Amino acid sequence: MTFQSTLGEGEGIADELAENQRQISIAEFFEKNKHMLGFDSGARGLVTAVKEAVDNALDATEEAGVLPDIYVEITEAGDYYRLVIEDNGPGITKEQLPKVFGKLLYGSRFHAREQSRGQQGIGISAAVLYSQLTSGQPAKITSRPKGQEEAQYFELIIDTDENEPEISVDETTTWDRPHGTRIELEMEANMRARNQLHDYIKHTAVVNPHARIELREPGLDEPLKFERATDQLPAETEEIRPHPHGVELGTLIKMLGATDSYSVSGFMQGEFTRVGKKTADSVLDNFRDRHFGREMAWSPPEAHDDADVARAVQSAVSNKGKEATAAFADGVADTVSNNEHLTRFELRTIVDNVADGVEEDTGRTFGATVRENATAAAWEAISGATADGEADDERLIPDLYALTDEATSTRKDDADVEALAEALAYRFADLDDDRFRLNRDDLDRLVADAAAFVEEQHDATFGETARENVADALWARMRTVPDETPSVSAIAEDRDAAADLLEAMRETDILAPPTDCLAPITAELVEAGLRKEFDADFYAAATRDAEVHGGDPFIVEAGIAYGGEIPADGTAQVMRFANRVPLVYQRGACATTDVVKRIGWRNYGLDQPGGSGIPSGPAVIMVHVASTNVPFTSESKDALANIPAIEDEIELAIREAARELKSFLNKRRSMQKRREKQDVLGRILPEMADKVSEVTGRSRPDIDGALARIMNNVSVEREIEDGTVTLRVENYSDTNEDLEVTEIVSAEPTDPSDGTVVDMDGEWFLQWKPTVAAGEEATLTYAVSDDADFDVSVDGVESEKLTVNA
Amino acid sequence: MATNEQEAREQLIDLAAEFYDQFADGQIPEMTLPTRTKSNIEYDPESGVWVYGDRTSTRSANSVRGARKLLKAAYTIEFLADQLEADRSSTLRELYYLSESWDNDEAQFKSQDESNDLVEDLEIVSGVTREDFHMRPEESGATLMGPLELREQTRRGEREIHCQEDVGEGGYQIPNNPDMIEFLDHDIDFVMCVETGGMRDRLVENGFDEAYNCLVVHLKGQPARATRRITKRLRDELDLPVVVFTDGDPWSYRIFGSVAYGSIKSAHLSEYLATPEARFVGIRPEDIVEYDLPSDPLSDSDVNALESELEDPRFQTDYWEEQIELQLDIGKKSEQQALASRGLDFVTDTYLPERLDTMGVI
Repeated sequence: MTFQSTLGEGEGIADELAENQRQISIAEFFEKNKHMLGFDSGARGLVTAVKEAVDNALDATEEAGVLPDIYVEITEAGDYYRLVIEDNGPGITKEQLPKVFGKLLYGSRFHAREQSRGQQGIGISAAVLYSQLTSGQPAKITSRPKGQEEAQYFELIIDTDENEPEISVDETTTWDRPHGTRIELEMEANMRARNQLHDYIKHTAVVNPHARIELREPGLDEPLKFERATDQLPAETEEIRPHPHGVELGTLIKMLGATDSYSVSGFMQGEFTRVGKKTADSVLDNFRDRHFGREMAWSPPEAHDDADVARAVQSAVSNKGKEATAAFADGVADTVSNNEHLTRFELRTIVDNVADGVEEDTGRTFGATVRENATAAAWEAISGATADGEADDERLIPDLYALTDEATSTRKDDADVEALAEALAYRFADLDDDRFRLNRDDLDRLVADAAAFVEEQHDATFGETARENVADALWARMRTVPDETPSVSAIAEDRDAAADLLEAMRETDILAPPTDCLAPITAELVEAGLRKEFDADFYAAATRDAEVHGGDPFIVEAGIAYGGEIPADGTAQVMRFANRVPLVYQRGACATTDVVKRIGWRNYGLDQPGGSGIPSGPAVIMVHVASTNVPFTSESKDALANIPAIEDEIELAIREAARELKSFLNKRRSMQKRREKQDVLGRILPEMADKVSEVTGRSRPDIDGALARIMNNVSVEREIEDGTVTLRVENYSDTNEDLEVTEIVSAEPTDPSDGTVVDMDGEWFLQWKPTVAAGEEATLTYAVSDDADFDVSVDGVESEKLTVNA
Repeated sequence: MATNEQEAREQLIDLAAEFYDQFADGQIPEMTLPTRTKSNIEYDPESGVWVYGDRTSTRSANSVRGARKLLKAAYTIEFLADQLEADRSSTLRELYYLSESWDNDEAQFKSQDESNDLVEDLEIVSGVTREDFHMRPEESGATLMGPLELREQTRRGEREIHCQEDVGEGGYQIPNNPDMIEFLDHDIDFVMCVETGGMRDRLVENGFDEAYNCLVVHLKGQPARATRRITKRLRDELDLPVVVFTDGDPWSYRIFGSVAYGSIKSAHLSEYLATPEARFVGIRPEDIVEYDLPSDPLSDSDVNALESELEDPRFQTDYWEEQIELQLDIGKKSEQQALASRGLDFVTDTYLPERLDTMGVI
């Protein structure tokens, strides 16, 4: 299961190309497309081959639940380079070989939604083909499944005429690994991309702290060894069904056609993730609103009005006997009058309920025709609408006026609002449908039309916002209809209905997809990975919650390492990862780089010449995007595409880690200042004591008390950023300090953290009473306009112990 | 060592002892001084001069800056005490350079302003004047010319000098410590302090001092302490009226202010230096208009200075508010020498006699 499961996922251009070009030789195909496959030069080809083989090795071992132990060796072999990759995975069987190594030759499976490295590259098959085409040598594969006495040795060659993989050698051999796979490829190559190769291996070690990796290559005196930092394997990933927010219309129609479900509700629940009965119902209601439209609800007339529901019903019923007719008519009229607003379908329900009751009481039968006639008569009494399309717009005005008046601003002239209500009433009455059914688009058009009419006739203004507010109010009054939704098969054949369903799915709030299909590294291990490979002073990491783009859940993680042995000159190092695979090429084209560049790093304490671009200084910034379908800019999969949803998450993740960096740097700066102060005072005060004892002719005074007071102090520092004022109280003493901090501000402060605010004649007194434990700090914040003045005073601490820098 | 010096030395050592005691008590050494800003000077009705108010600032060794200041103070105290003991004197500038010879880098002064300020601080906290520390400014150079006979105590013995008969055209040079002078005799009717050297020479050349029995004091710009001190003594001991004659611009009004009211930086010595009875002759903004004097337009900094004077408590009198507002209004300033536009003798024949007559001085 190991290789093909990871290799089968990469449904992409290469497969389609391969499909289209089945007629030409595979060698020719490869030659034409090698730039997209990452084999456009000997230097690049070697890195790509290593990358594909290592990715596969990691996936294989992880799937088998084994901590990866991977060995990469590059040696010169005459005119060629020999690449050997060994893993301690479960090995590979003879049957699997062609599927794994001949992948370019086969179509791909249905796109599974699961995070795996495999979808990253085009697969080891391309490397096999590349080596065969450049050196003429077969791929040499040694495999030893767990528990097997002997290892198996294969040679695999691709018949480029027949476009078929062929196993040319199959024999037993001995191998010192108890289980695993060894691949040996010879290829035309060079080591000009040594830096990228090292980066790739090193970065792989950072994001795979559970792996042990060793690299030998001709330029290294000592092998590069990356040891394991954790015994924790990444969480196993689950395949998930698509998320309703992520499918395209074509996919939806395909899915509708393929499902076994009859009902849309069943289809939704069966084929999508995060859809249960409730969510399906919401989707269906949204679908009905789009597909059928909503019905307008009108307020029933008062009993003494001309339009009397009871009388209307009575006259619509004949031959049911006086008593039953009266009971029916009164029953309907009573129930109607209990409702503030009614739609026609609600009215019909009332009529049915009352008719059922009267049938039971009197034994008379009220058939469907009678019920429909009664409904039509009562509806005419309520809304003035008749089945033949005549409607009384006068009757609709009060309801529409009430809604319009509520929805428009109080500044609107009452006469204009009335005119709008009349115009709306006219248009409602003019509808061809006595049920007053409209979907939202039609409603918007109706409102716009009425508003335009009033604007023209009355020289009034009903702008976009007013129109939208009115339409919103009307839409809220309208009711979703209970009509049966079409069957799945009907929707599958009706493109418009399918589009309605798609829209309905998109506008329904649905839980984000489950994240067990994703294996984030986790903030903890991101930090462990950075710690392992960078000897820094500070590490921070953040893992965001899963988000969805195009139905594919994704998680962004960021990590920052700062200071220590990281080179301080030049720009910070940006490490990019997608599904745990380092991206080493096309840095400038990557969304990750774009995001890093547009963050204002100065806010976070890093230098950034010109205020934008990659920050400079001793920092490493890493970003990992894990997704079931990572959007790349091209098939060579070196750079993330600029998808706003993903960029936003990248930015938030980086900022989260950067905030920690900032507070570290601030703290370090303030500690540094403190240390400097202690150094200077520790030198000056004894000198001063010496001098005064000289002048006074007395023996040198004991200055320990004075020094202790200065060294163990409490500091209050002010920071202002984006209109937020922060007073940071740091207690360096060895006892708790109870402070009373009073800040006088010249403008009104908002959002104060705890504390009290008192307005005194245009000056605001903010007061906090924090207790700060020894060695701890407290932050007091509030927001205030930028030009405010402030003055802080601190009580509760001996003044000698207090340093106020605010 | 004279008693005066003995006392000054004791005051200094007491100051060091205060720091010592603070250390010994486990306290952080500090020195409290009146805040030396415009907003912290107030009128003392008793003495009629402007003195520091109640606001104080503290130099504490709690901060790096404060600790450095106090360390310098300790070194300076030692230096001054030694200087008094050896009966030597030195200039402020010498102190600044001398600090470079101190064994401690931290104690050395970074600028002369710093050492000047520190000496003033020490004056304030010890209550001893700089002169009694034997610290003098580089040069005062200010002079007297007029019918005054005095006795000066010099390092080379006593000298009796008549400030008209015994001096050249340059006049009698005021020594750094005018308290060493004893007034013997005089024919002075009034004392006139003159800002510029050019005007002082004009008055002497025209024989104004002889014609009006006037003692001409040359201020030489912003007057040195010695100049202000001797003016004060002339007023107090000989009961003479004092008038001040300067250019007609905001900077000159400040010169008048420091003669009459005391300066902000040395408000602790106002009682000793200021002559509140001094009156302003001109050039008044009013004179620019009245005598149609050649003028320059006010620059931005002139306007700022005038506005700042309106907020200066020393200038908050009807007279000055009216004059300053008039000047802001006309937007002009004139120098003393502008009077020459009406002839070289105009100032001595017309302007001063008219003004002094109006003021009731002659």
